[in-house]
Parts: sequence; C-alpha cells; structure tokens
Amino acid sequence: MTAHRHLDIFESYNRFYNGKKVREDTWDYCTVPNSALMMKNKYDIKFTDDIVPDDDDLCDRLFLAGVEMLATTGFYNTDLGRAFSLTEDEIYEGIKRAPKELTLGFGKDRCICRKRLGNADFKPLVEGGPTGAPVSEEIYVPMMRSYAQESTVDLLVSGVLNSVDGYPSTTNTPWEIRATLAEIRYVREAALMANRPGLGI
Amino acid sequence: MRTCDSHECSQLNELKIDMNALNMLAGWTCNGNTIMIEQMPIFGGYCGMVEETAICDVATTLASFTLFSGNFHLDGPIHIRWGTTTARETLQVAGHAAAAIDANTDLLLANQYYPMAGPCTEMCLLETAAQAITDTASGRELLSGSAAAKGVVQDKTTGMEARIMGEAAKATAGMKIPEVNKLLNKIVSDYEKHYTNAPAGKTFQECYDVKTVKPTAEYVQVYDGALKRLRDYGLDIKH
Repeated sequence: MTAHRHLDIFESYNRFYNGKKVREDTWDYCTVPNSALMMKNKYDIKFTDDIVPDDDDLCDRLFLAGVEMLATTGFYNTDLGRAFSLTEDEIYEGIKRAPKELTLGFGKDRCICRKRLGNADFKPLVEGGPTGAPVSEEIYVPMMRSYAQESTVDLLVSGVLNSVDGYPSTTNTPWEIRATLAEIRYVREAALMANRPGLGI
Repeated sequence: MRTCDSHECSQLNELKIDMNALNMLAGWTCNGNTIMIEQMPIFGGYCGMVEETAICDVATTLASFTLFSGNFHLDGPIHIRWGTTTARETLQVAGHAAAAIDANTDLLLANQYYPMAGPCTEMCLLETAAQAITDTASGRELLSGSAAAKGVVQDKTTGMEARIMGEAAKATAGMKIPEVNKLLNKIVSDYEKHYTNAPAGKTFQECYDVKTVKPTAEYVQVYDGALKRLRDYGLDIKH
C-alpha cells in the first residue's frame, strides 16, 4: 500500500510509544536472529569467497532481504521496551527523501559527499581522526593536526578526550559535557594549525 | 558546531535504539543539522554468520534514513572474537551490504575503521588499506578513521593511518571487482595469520614529533614498507 508519507523522528517515537511490548532478551535472542535466518533462506543468500560481490542478482536479493527484515521485524526501543514495524512503502518513501549529496566544511576546505555508483573512478571522502578512540588532553590538538595536515583527508572526526582540566570525562556527568565542547574547540584549533580552518567536522 | 559540520549518534545492536538517541535526533532534525547515524553490526553475535549479519546490516542502514531522519549512515561490522572491522568476515559483511544498497538506492554510505594492530606497524597499515579497498570498491561515499589498536588504547591513533586509507582508496577507485577480490585475498591472507600475536604498535607521542607534528623517520620507513607490499600485491599506488 502506498505510504501516507515518510516517517520522521517524531512519528517513529509515536509508533514506539504505541508499539508492542517485547522483552529485550526475546528481541535479541529470538526475534532478530530468526528474522535474519528466515530472510537468508527466503532470498537464497549465499556468499562465495569474494569480499566484494560481483553478482548483481545477489546484491538485489540481499537488498530485498534487508528491506523485508526491517519491515517485518521493525525496531526496538530499549527504554520503552516496545517495538514497532513499518511498511515496505514507508521504507521506500524514506529512501526517496534522503539527501543525494551533502556539502560539509566551508571555503576552500569545503567538500561534497556525492553518490558513487559502484566502484566509481573517484575516491570516497576520507574523514580522518581517532573515530572514538581515547586521546589524552595533552596531545589532543597535535594528534588531530596530524590528520588535518594529510592531503587525503577531507573531513575530521574526533577522538574521545580522556580528561578535561585533569578530570576524567565520565559518562553522564557534567565533565562529559565539558569534554565534548573541549573536543570541538580542539579539533577546530587543529584544523587552524594545519591551515585548513574550513574542514568539516 | 557550525552548520557545515555534522552531528553523530548511534543505534544499538541489533535493530535497537534508546531515548537518548531519539531525543538528540529530534533536536538536530528540528535545527536542520546534518546527521550521521552509526551502528556496528556484530559478526558472530545475535545474527550469527556473514549472510545473516549482512542482511541485518542492510536493515540497520535503511533504518537510519527511513526511521530516524539520518542523512548518511556510518557502518562498521565488527568481529565478535577479534573486535576489529578488518577481519575477512567483517569486510565481507561490509562489502556485500554496501554493494546491495548502492545498487538499489542513492543513499550515502560510510564505514569506520578498527584495525587490530597499533600504529607504526605494517600490519596496521595493511589492515587499513584492505578495508579502504573494500569500501571503495563496494561503492561507499565516506571512510572514517582509523581507530588503530581496536580503538581502545589511549593515544594509539595517528594521521599516517588516514594517509594510507586515502591512498588505497584513490588507487582502488575504478578497478574491476574480480581484480579487487584477488588483491584483497592477498592482503588479508598476509595479516590474518598474525591475529594471535598482532603488534601493539606505538603511541602518537612515539610516532610523531609532538611539537612539529612530523612523523618519525621510523614510521615513514614502516609506511614505505607497507606501500611496497601493497604495490607488490597489485595495488597501483602512484606516489
């Protein structure tokens, strides 16, 4: 059935709120694995030794298996203990609405994330950084600068600042907020030091 | 954050999310911010084998765009035993999931890097290159990293790993897929035999002059060694 419209974050919350109560362990150990196995059998998904597939039909079947898994299994909200499903048409409507390209950064450091169809003859963007690995306060700026100065790097991604003003940046404490803001300041400083102030973060 | 930056939050394993993420997403959506949503499906976890994990990876990726207003999805299939994204099985999950979505949509796809070995080792650089080759050949738009030493050891990441990521991606772009698979098989076979004794590598402070932010002569030499091996295996890295 044609979707009324795409789902947004608010509609998703409403559906979670009114969704079916499910135990989290049932979701983890039964719902998800059973659904994945069912889709594997239904769509006859079998990989060869290839790491990157060279089989268009396999790619199409894998895509359809993923769409059906999302539509029939739905999604689980761990705080509400509820799950909801959506229709395949709603999934396709969401895909149509997603951006086809994104512009990140500014000035001469601006870059455009645009669709690469298959192994297109231009490289993907490189977002350089520790991508969540822990980093000491004392070397945060030089470490981020080591990424910003690389010619292959188009964007920056931060690491986790281990402490701020000497205090551990523990989760769910005010120090975590302070550390997050400090990370952004430090990443910008590193980009400036590398003479690339417009690098997107 | 500036409007030209992007915000990031994570789903949970598998096909789950919590209210913290939903609330952050609501704020960013209302502000018109650019949103990246990440999720790292576990190979050998709830879903099991490579095929089931790849199916779940496709579903997870689609959820970022269709349920949570994400603008690009950051993947990162992770190996339950090794805790890395560069194992043969996790590369296969990432390669298949990306190729399947790429062939059927215009969605923007990213992947993140968690090699096993630490910086200043050829193994770390080869692992990073193998994933960059996989991601590039399977149609991804953005590569994010790299969190060497599995991303869990303090100060064990450097810009040199991002350098090889970009160079490997550049050299791979446009290659035929059968050639890519032959190349990948050689590189992964090279490093996967060292999983039980992977080199821990060095910290940033040991890899760079922290004042001038220049890599040490030792790391440049290790980097050149990795480039030579990649070229010997058939990756045409120019400079």
